[in-house]
Amino acid sequence: MLQTSVAAAEPFVPRRARSEAVRRIVLYVVLVAFALLFFTPFVWTISTSFKTLPDSAYFNLVPHPFTTEAWKSVWNDYDFKRYALNSLFLAVTVTLLNLFLASLGGYAFARLRFPGREVLFLLVLGTLMIPDQLRLIPVFVMLTKWHLIGNFSGYILINLVTAVNLFFMRQYFLTIPRDFEEAAKLDGAGYFKTYWRIMLPLAGPAIAALAILQFQGTWNDFFWPLILFGQGSEHMYTMQLGLAQLTFTYQSLWPQLMAGSLMAIAPILVIFLVFQRFFISGVTAAGIKG
Amino acid sequence: MREAGWGYAFVLLPMAVFGLFFIYPLVYGIYISFFEWGILGKAAGATASTQNYHTLYNDPVFHRALRNTFEYALLVVPLEMALGLMVALVINAKLRGRAFFRSAFYFPSIASSAAITTIAIFILNPDGLLNRIIGSNQAWFGDSSTALYSVVGLNAWTTSGTVMLFYLAALQSIPTDVYEAAAVGGTRAWRTFWRITFPLLRPAHFFVLVVFGIGALKVFDQFYIVSQGTGGPEYSTLSAVFYIYQEAFKSANFGVGASAGVVLFVAIFLLTLLQRATVGRAELG
Repeated sequence: MLQTSVAAAEPFVPRRARSEAVRRIVLYVVLVAFALLFFTPFVWTISTSFKTLPDSAYFNLVPHPFTTEAWKSVWNDYDFKRYALNSLFLAVTVTLLNLFLASLGGYAFARLRFPGREVLFLLVLGTLMIPDQLRLIPVFVMLTKWHLIGNFSGYILINLVTAVNLFFMRQYFLTIPRDFEEAAKLDGAGYFKTYWRIMLPLAGPAIAALAILQFQGTWNDFFWPLILFGQGSEHMYTMQLGLAQLTFTYQSLWPQLMAGSLMAIAPILVIFLVFQRFFISGVTAAGIKG
Repeated sequence: MREAGWGYAFVLLPMAVFGLFFIYPLVYGIYISFFEWGILGKAAGATASTQNYHTLYNDPVFHRALRNTFEYALLVVPLEMALGLMVALVINAKLRGRAFFRSAFYFPSIASSAAITTIAIFILNPDGLLNRIIGSNQAWFGDSSTALYSVVGLNAWTTSGTVMLFYLAALQSIPTDVYEAAAVGGTRAWRTFWRITFPLLRPAHFFVLVVFGIGALKVFDQFYIVSQGTGGPEYSTLSAVFYIYQEAFKSANFGVGASAGVVLFVAIFLLTLLQRATVGRAELG
């Protein structure tokens, strides 16, 4: 009895609850509207990739008839099989080299003492500021002199290790307590062994984030493959370069173009779905610390 | 001493890469920019001069490329920030399915520029889905009056997911008692946002502005692909980096291209300083 009279004396409580419900509905409406805006293009892309060419001119969402012809022809006839292998080879190689060199260098900058360390580290920070687009012409001139244009090793060489990755690893190593290394030192482990056996396993999350972001970066890279393989080295095309070439050459072959686009996205999508956690933490950590 | 030896050994290869492929090219690029430089290297008997910079100064195409780049950056960065912040705020409200929505909005950011641009060309083509929905037959990328804005829309769509992640991280670092105090004070949500949340996000605004502003000045892929490598129609999709690319690989004017690279680098550098100065002061005031 007492309780109901209290509730009646405070009419703002139900009003508040109502406004809370309204707020939620508004938020959901906004969310769904954005989701539609973000997703409609992809849904449309997927649908078109399973259509026949004449059917792709119409606006039916469900392919009629449903066919995987476009996927097959892009993969076999338009050479995406080769492009996929090229991309995979470059992405795996560059990622592994970056993992090793960035963590090794990051460990040294975080833990080992050597004269000139601070100066060298300033050079790393300076390197962070140099945009790829600025080194475009000088690097191209250098690689031309060394006959490394139209050659995978040229691409790998200029992407062996990035300052961002090294910086990222160093920052992570700094957060690891020294106790583990002290123990290793007492056991008589050398510096390389300490790095390999103790520090690398402890840096698991950073390694995972770096591997994922670097793989994505190399797989998605359009700029350097265009510069290095774009001039008549069609057998070296990466997925992204091959796709761009396909859009230039066959401008309204929509089912094939959409199948090709989805192939270019697919590996990254799979990695993203499996390792979301590392993706998101990696992006924000690299960004905020860098 | 043993420790120092290992230290040098560990950083040797990374430092060699940075020196050879980043720092040396920076110097070498400046050097090239003062010479007549063709596909075979420095022109025979060429002497150092500022001729390439004069050429740039008098080249209306370069002016157009700079104007396009700045116009693009001035439009796309605020749009990305507004979209990214809006989505971050909605997702930050404790709703069901927020993890799903966060991933969904971030997804376009992970797809490659080539794939996303190809999809955009499809959706925005004269007979495409967008025209069908709004009932027009505009050639969005093929018309010089809409091409640049279409790329702005395309990149705002794909990049705002990343901006959202940064805003989400920043929002989560705002202590909740700030909001509790506002709630006790009876402040309405809209006012709470403008009076409290927005100003508290200042470091995030600054960060996003600098990072994505610099990114916008380096735009290339999307412009290259929507114009099939031409920068057209009528130079409407020629960005500064695209200009450098064309000078080098279409006209074999490496000297002019290198000097355009230096100008762009200086612009990016000045912008960083300017942003630092203005936003830094706002933070104090």
